[in-house]
Amino acid sequence: MGLIDRARIYSPWVYHFHCGGCNGCDIETLAALAPRFDAERFGIQLVASPRHADILITTGCVPKQFIPMIKRVYKQTPDPKVVVAIGGCACGGSLFYDEDPENYAILGSPDLLIPVDVYVPGCAPKPEQIINGIVQGILKLNEKATRGKK
Amino acid sequence: MADLAFTIISIALIIPISLFLGVIYAFLLRKFNARFQWRVGPVVRMYSDLAPVIGSTRVWQPMYDILKLFGKDTLIPASAHKRLFTWSPYFSLFFSFAAVLFIPFPGMPLLSDAPYSLIVASYLLIASILFTILGPVASGSPWGAIGARREVELFLVAELGFVASLFLVAFMKGSLVIAELSGTVGSIPMVLVTLLAGITMFAAMLGKLHIKPFDMPEAECEIVAGPYTEYSGKLLGTYFLAKIFVLYNMVALFIAVFLPPVSSSVLWLPLYVVAALVLVFLLAVVQVLNPRYAIRKALTWYLKIVVPLVILGFIAAFALRMVA
Amino acid sequence: MSTHIKILKQVLQKYSSPMTLNYPSGVDKNRMYSQIPEGLRGFIERDEEKCVGCRACYMVCSGRATKIFDTAEKRTVQVFHFRCTYCAHCEECCPEEAIKMSKKFELTVTDKNDPKAYVNTDLKMISCKACNRPYLPEKMQKRVFERLSEKIDPKVKGIVVEDYHKTEGFCPDCKRARGVMLDTHTKKHVWLEVV
Repeated sequence: MGLIDRARIYSPWVYHFHCGGCNGCDIETLAALAPRFDAERFGIQLVASPRHADILITTGCVPKQFIPMIKRVYKQTPDPKVVVAIGGCACGGSLFYDEDPENYAILGSPDLLIPVDVYVPGCAPKPEQIINGIVQGILKLNEKATRGKK
Repeated sequence: MADLAFTIISIALIIPISLFLGVIYAFLLRKFNARFQWRVGPVVRMYSDLAPVIGSTRVWQPMYDILKLFGKDTLIPASAHKRLFTWSPYFSLFFSFAAVLFIPFPGMPLLSDAPYSLIVASYLLIASILFTILGPVASGSPWGAIGARREVELFLVAELGFVASLFLVAFMKGSLVIAELSGTVGSIPMVLVTLLAGITMFAAMLGKLHIKPFDMPEAECEIVAGPYTEYSGKLLGTYFLAKIFVLYNMVALFIAVFLPPVSSSVLWLPLYVVAALVLVFLLAVVQVLNPRYAIRKALTWYLKIVVPLVILGFIAAFALRMVA
Repeated sequence: MSTHIKILKQVLQKYSSPMTLNYPSGVDKNRMYSQIPEGLRGFIERDEEKCVGCRACYMVCSGRATKIFDTAEKRTVQVFHFRCTYCAHCEECCPEEAIKMSKKFELTVTDKNDPKAYVNTDLKMISCKACNRPYLPEKMQKRVFERLSEKIDPKVKGIVVEDYHKTEGFCPDCKRARGVMLDTHTKKHVWLEVV
């Protein structure tokens, strides 16, 4: 394993991306990054710009008005990148979404628009679970990077 | 001839040393910060059952961050002025690295005994920060522009304190060569004036390194990531590397000019390390205890506190010279 | 300045003992969790023995996480964890008390079709004797009869049980068509008189 590959595992930067919904998952996400669980121990850092991020954390179901933004944020993240969907809404649409009858305002989970790599179900998930999800995301990130090289 | 060979060898040596120390300072800054916030921060010894997967230590965390950024894609926004956007990180890195060569390390005077080395070093440090302003302006992003504007406003006052406190010491000792400044201690009143200048220099360092009360250029919850908003991959990594060199430079320059004999001889090396640690610790304390100032408040703070102190210092230095 | 000193004092109090948990470290027993409250509702667990496939949980599910799939052989009762909101309505309404909210909450999956994300219960279906349509899980029919015979007034029990056996194995539609055969049919006598 090269030095850069190792560095990729060691310092995943997280961009927290709230699509819509009740904000519960966002509170838990921030709790996962706060002193109690202190993700900085493992080099996980919350960054403000998607251009710096390795892992996109999406929470909430996607309202139809939000479709262009989520696509754009995904495009702005440089490769290799991983999307972690956190919470019931981001995983499967939960309360706000149904195939039939279709909701006039809510599209559903973000995986209808962008490829989601890790799902963290829960309403809202506990911070432990979110850290689990980020760790899974890191492994996936490494997998993607090495695959890209070949 | 022997002198030249020694200088060349020491220049070759200072590259890894400055990088190493810069990374350590950046790590310590993060670690102290974390511990003050009742959390662990980047771990020194990883938990034994996780070590095989995610490495045994995180002391090199700032270095890993940079290395990772070098392994990522680099996106260049369509609205950017391409040439300036891509080249300014490298210029920033170049200038901050060049400044390393003019600041003495214990046992290695490097180029600090060159004539006017104080002016050269301070110009190089200013140029490095200048390019962290030019790049974001060229990015065409409003966030970058706002960040750059804040950076300029802070730059004007912080740089004033920085240059004034350096030249206060230079004026008092009658020399513009860093090697001479760091070699001579002087009389007790001179030491007192140097300490006063050291305090103003510390305040200027806060602004130059974006330590907490003066971190409005990078205010994350206000203006995305400030000047670095549009940067990604290699270019961002280059900026971060430049930042690490600037951190090393500021600490080294502080010790060289304001704690005079410490960086003049190898024998002082332990004291150099202790002084550097204390300085980083103090920076961390200031960062933790203060909220972010508004830009106007930062300006008035500098003008009300730092500038009078510097003027007081100049009066004292002038009096000292008159007496001598 | 005095506030700064006050903060510094507070900050230095816990400098040597940070409050961070060693969370991802420590397998199983040594792992430290944050507070897990007593009433925490985790993932659903369904007792396959008790479940009869009555659709009560499907009717009340607020996130539409519970789904029922019927085929000729079996009825599948499924809960999709991704859509579950842990409201515990299904636990409340389950007549057989088959559903329990567990305290498990650690689950991350990388694929939507991962079996870990679903709780499935398969039940054998019975088909209608007349129209050959699968209409009820076998278990449910049995259980309904049991409950019926438990609760019914002993005076009329004989007739009702007899009636039940008469139409056993017919789907609701076919049963209605043969309703007149039943002794408990309200209009039976009227109908007979007319004929």
